[in-house]
Amino acid sequence: MSELRFEDVTVCYGSGRSATRAVDGVSLTVPDGEVLGLVGGSGSGKSTTARAAVGLVPVDAGRILLDGRAIDVRRGRRPLQMVFQDPYSSLDPRMTVGESVAEILPKEIKRAARRDEVERLLELVHLDPARAAAYPSQLSGGQRQRVAIARALAGRPRVLIADEITSALDVSIQGAILNLVRELQSELGLSMLFISHNLAVVRYVASRVAVMHDGRIVEEGATADVLAAPQDPYTRRLLAAIPGRVPTAPTMRSTP
Amino acid sequence: MRAVRRTLRTPLGAAAAILLAIVLLTAVFAPILWGEQAAVVDTDDILAGPSPEHPIGTDGLGRDLLLRVLVATRLSVSLALVATLVAVTAGLVLGVAPLLLGRAGRAVTWFVGIAVAFPGLLLALFFAVIFGTGWLGATLAIGLAGAPSFARLCQTLVAGVASRDYVAAARVGGIGRFRVLFRHILPNIGEPLIVNATIGAGAALLSFAGLSFLGLGIQPPAYDWGRLMMEGLSGIYLNPLAALAPGIAVVIAGLAFNLVGEAAARALGIESTGIVARLAAVQPRRAVGASAPASPDEILAIRDLTVTFPGQEGPVQPVRGVSFSLRRGEVVGIVGESGSGKSLTALAIAQLVEEPGVVDADTLRFVGADLLEGDPADHRRLLGNSLAMVFQDPMTSFNPTKRMGGQLAEVATHHHGMSRREAHDRAVDRLGAVRITDPERRARQYPHEFSGGMRQRAMIGMGLMGSPKLIIADEPTTALDVTVQQQVLNLLRSIRDDDDVAILLISHDVSVIAEICDRVLVMYAGRIVEDLPVSELSRARHPYTRALLAAVPDMQTDLDRPLATVPGRPVDPAHVPAGCAFAPRCPLADAHCRAVDPDLVPVAPTARVACWHAGEPLPTPVAEVARDTEEVVA
Repeated sequence: MSELRFEDVTVCYGSGRSATRAVDGVSLTVPDGEVLGLVGGSGSGKSTTARAAVGLVPVDAGRILLDGRAIDVRRGRRPLQMVFQDPYSSLDPRMTVGESVAEILPKEIKRAARRDEVERLLELVHLDPARAAAYPSQLSGGQRQRVAIARALAGRPRVLIADEITSALDVSIQGAILNLVRELQSELGLSMLFISHNLAVVRYVASRVAVMHDGRIVEEGATADVLAAPQDPYTRRLLAAIPGRVPTAPTMRSTP
Repeated sequence: MRAVRRTLRTPLGAAAAILLAIVLLTAVFAPILWGEQAAVVDTDDILAGPSPEHPIGTDGLGRDLLLRVLVATRLSVSLALVATLVAVTAGLVLGVAPLLLGRAGRAVTWFVGIAVAFPGLLLALFFAVIFGTGWLGATLAIGLAGAPSFARLCQTLVAGVASRDYVAAARVGGIGRFRVLFRHILPNIGEPLIVNATIGAGAALLSFAGLSFLGLGIQPPAYDWGRLMMEGLSGIYLNPLAALAPGIAVVIAGLAFNLVGEAAARALGIESTGIVARLAAVQPRRAVGASAPASPDEILAIRDLTVTFPGQEGPVQPVRGVSFSLRRGEVVGIVGESGSGKSLTALAIAQLVEEPGVVDADTLRFVGADLLEGDPADHRRLLGNSLAMVFQDPMTSFNPTKRMGGQLAEVATHHHGMSRREAHDRAVDRLGAVRITDPERRARQYPHEFSGGMRQRAMIGMGLMGSPKLIIADEPTTALDVTVQQQVLNLLRSIRDDDDVAILLISHDVSVIAEICDRVLVMYAGRIVEDLPVSELSRARHPYTRALLAAVPDMQTDLDRPLATVPGRPVDPAHVPAGCAFAPRCPLADAHCRAVDPDLVPVAPTARVACWHAGEPLPTPVAEVARDTEEVVA
C-alpha cells in the first residue's frame, strides 16, 4: 500500500467565462495504510476529487502523486481503484459477477489461476464463490456492492477510493458493508480515500478526516480531534446538522 | 428464450412469425423450384391477362408473372437485407466514433446531425447517380442513405451506456477503449439496434422497389419487385394485376419485417418490466357497515388498507392490511426498508396508485370524507385543497420550462379559482413562508436556478398554496445534504406549529423520523409491525425495530465493535413467507412465528406491536456472520 497525495489540485468544468471550479486548489494526503474520510455536502467537489485521482476527469492544475511519483494512467493496470455509489449502475448487467471481477485482474495471471483468484476475492468480501456465475440482476444491492468491492480489489490497487458506497443502500445493509470495509482495511492494510456525506459513517471507518466545502478543503485532522473540536464554521454546521436526538440504540446483548 | 415463446403466443407475434416464415421460405425455395420456368419465353402468349394457366397473366415475352413475382422474392429481400447491413454498419462506425476519437469525435457528431437532416431518398438518388445504375449502386445508395439515422440512434444509445458507472469502473480498471466498446457498450445497446434494424429492413425493401421502379435499381435480365412493377405499369389498363401483384409482395414482405421489429420491441420491453397478468382475482371489497364515527380532531383514518398489483404468479400485495390514524397537528413517521410498502401507503392515501394497482380498505377517511365512496372528482378537489405531497426528488417535481412563481400560482388558479394576480401574490407570499429569501425575484426564476434545498422548500410552499390539513412527505430529505436536510425538517416542524397541520413523514432513516415526529410506524413487508412514540424508540419491542436502530452508526457508536447487522434480505412482495414475515431474519423466531402471523396489538396505552416475542431479550449476536449476511434464507 502507498501514500496518495493531492498537491494544489484544481478541476474546472466548462470553459471560458462559464467555467466553474469544482475542485479549487485541494491539497490532501491519504497516509500509507490509513483511511482518510472526505466529507462535504453535495456539490462540494468531493466526488470530482475522487474522479480526478482515477483519471476520469482531467486535472487543470496541480499534481496527484502516488508515493511521490505522478500516476501513469495511460496504459494497463491502474494503481488506484474506485468503488462507486450506485451498485445498480456500476456492474455491467450483461456480465456475470465472475466476469466483472476477472476483467480487472492483472494480465499476468493465467487462465486457471484467474478462476481461483476470482473465488478468493469473492470469499474476501463474504460472497459465496458459487455466485461467480450469477448476473447482477440476481443479487441484492448489498451483494452487488460487495462484488464492486471485490472488482476494485482485483486490480491490486495501491490505494482504494470509495465514493459514497453506502448511500444507495438500505440502512440494514449499510452496516454490513461498513463492517466489511473496516475488516478489509485492517486485514489488508489498505490505504483508502473514503468519501461520504455522513459524518457518523466517516467517524466509524476513517482515522483521519478532511472536510470539503465549495471545492476547498476547510479542515483536516485526526477524526477524533476534528469531531471533538471542529475549528471551521462549516464543520461546526455539519456537526450541528446531524439528526442528533436519536435515542441511543437498544443494546443487542442479552440481559443476564 | 422465454420471451420469444411468450411473444409467439400473442396475435402480433404469431402473425409476424408466420409472415416472416412465408417470405423467407419463398426467398429460399422459389428460385430453386421455379427459377427456370419463370424464364421460359413464350412468344405465342405475350401480355396475356389472367388465365388458369397464368393466374396473373404474362409479360411482354410471355413469361409467367406469378412465378416471376415469387422468384423475385430472393433478390428483393436479400438486397434489402444487404442494404440494411450497410446502413447498420456505417451507422455503428459513425455512432461509436465520438466515443473512440474523443474530441475529434465531435466533428463526427456534427456531420451526422447534418446528414440526418438531409432527405433520405434524395441521398439515395444522389448516390445512385455516383455509383451508377445497377444493384451495387442501389444497395450502397440505400444503405448509406439509411446510415445517418442509425448513426444518430447509436450515438444516443452509446452516450447513455457510456455514462454508466460500469463503463467508468472498466476505464479505472485500465480496460482499453476498444475493449470497453466490445465488452460493455455494444452488448448493452444490441437489443434496440436489432429492433430498429429489422424495421429498417422493411423501409429498405420499399426504397429498393422505388429505385428499381424508377429504373435506377436492378437492370435486366435480372428482376426484382420494383422492376416487375415498372414493367407491369405500362399495361395497367389491360392487366392491372401485373403491376399490383409485385406491389402486394412488397407490402407483405415490408409488413413482415415491421411486425417482427414491433414484436421484438414489445417482447424486450415486457422482459424488463415483468409481464402483466390478468387481475381477475382482485375484487374490491367494500366496508361492511359504517366504521366508528370520526372524532372532530381526526385528519386521517385508515383501517386494513391493502394495495394489490397483478403479478406473474397471481396478485402481489405490497401493502397488506395497514391501519392507523392521524390527528390534527400530529407528526407521524413511517420507517422501513425499500420495498416495505411505505411509499405505496402514502400514494394510496393520496389516491395516486395507478392502474393496474387496486387500493382497498375497510376505512379510508380523510378529514371526515370517505375516499372509498362517492364521486372521484369531489375527492380530487378535496385532496387538492387539503393534502400536500412532497416527493424525494424536487427536480423532477417541477416543470423545468416554467417559472417557479407560475407553477405555484397554477395550483391556486386551478384549485381555488383565484385570479392570476391574486395567485401570483399568494405564490410570492408562500415562497416567503418557506423561507426563500427575496421571494419576489425568486418567483420569476426557473427550477434550475434553485438549489436542491430551495426546490424542496418551494415544493412544500406549493403544498401550502391551499390550506392543507395533511402534508405527506416521502423521503423529502434523502436527496439533500445534512445541513439542508436540517432546514427542511425545521420548516416542516414550524409549519406544524403554526398551522396545526398533520404531517406524515416517510423515510428509511430512523434518525430523520426521530428528529421531528411524535410517533413512528415501523413497516415491514407491507405491514405495520410496530407503532410507538418516538420518545420510546430506545425501548422498542419488535426485534426488527431494534435491529434497524442498532444497524445505523451514529456519533456515539462504539468504534471497537462491528456494527450490528440485520441478517437475510428484505422480503420480496411476491413471495411473502407464511407466518411472521420477519421470522426468517429474526433471532427470536420459533416454529410458531413461522406458522402464524402475529396481529398488531396494543401492548401499552401508546404502543402497538406485531410480534410473538415482543420485548424479549435478544440473544448475543455472533460477532459477525461469517458468510454473506444477505444470503437468501431458504
